[in-house]
Amino acid sequence: MINLLFFGRLGDFAKDVPSTIEASTPAEIRELLAAEFPELGRELHQPQVLVSVNKMIVDWDQPLFDGSEVAFLPPVTGG
Amino acid sequence: MTVRIRIQQQDFDLAEEYQLLRQTDSAVGAVVTFSGLVRDFEVSAEGHDSLANSIDSLSLQHYPGLTESLLQKIVEQANARWNLIATTVIHRVGDLAPREQIVLVGVASQHRADAFEAAQFLMDYLKTQATFWKSVRRNGEQRWIESKASDQHAARRWERSADE
Repeated sequence: MINLLFFGRLGDFAKDVPSTIEASTPAEIRELLAAEFPELGRELHQPQVLVSVNKMIVDWDQPLFDGSEVAFLPPVTGG
Repeated sequence: MTVRIRIQQQDFDLAEEYQLLRQTDSAVGAVVTFSGLVRDFEVSAEGHDSLANSIDSLSLQHYPGLTESLLQKIVEQANARWNLIATTVIHRVGDLAPREQIVLVGVASQHRADAFEAAQFLMDYLKTQATFWKSVRRNGEQRWIESKASDQHAARRWERSADE
């Protein structure tokens, strides 16, 4: 099982998304979510959206393992 | 280099943080601090003040664990580029009212140029790379703030100067 987190505005599009999923890469998660939640899928495909695995920013094809925490990160707006 | 990085809900005391930076080392000859405040209006992503709307409150979200490590990396980059003695980065999260303090960046160095430039670099990178997300509440409605092209532009100037 992979644990999912959505930050910033992505959280608004992910209200009905289950908190866990089965997948082998973040890119695969994005495709699975896009199929079921098209609006969220469009947001996740924005080029500025980054993905992290276990609190490290990684490429979309990073291999995932049971228990990985995958977070989707929209453009940051702190400071 | 002495590094203090804090993400917290509570306010910070600028004078206290300044004294900590000042007293790090007898070699400290310059201290630059920047503090960012909550404006009582929101400027559009294009930066037109004419489209500014007054806000009731601001809320800041972060990703515990990742955000701290990104701030650490930003501070390490600054330390590699300038001669720094101490650096403080404090960022508040949670609900904030207009005019409250949001962020503090403080840098102590031997000479002023290092402190001035590093403080600007730290803020520019914090604004574009550290995982914080702002939303504003206005007339009971919550809305996420969009990232600004001007912030991206400000951060990119440090890439150019690194190539020179």
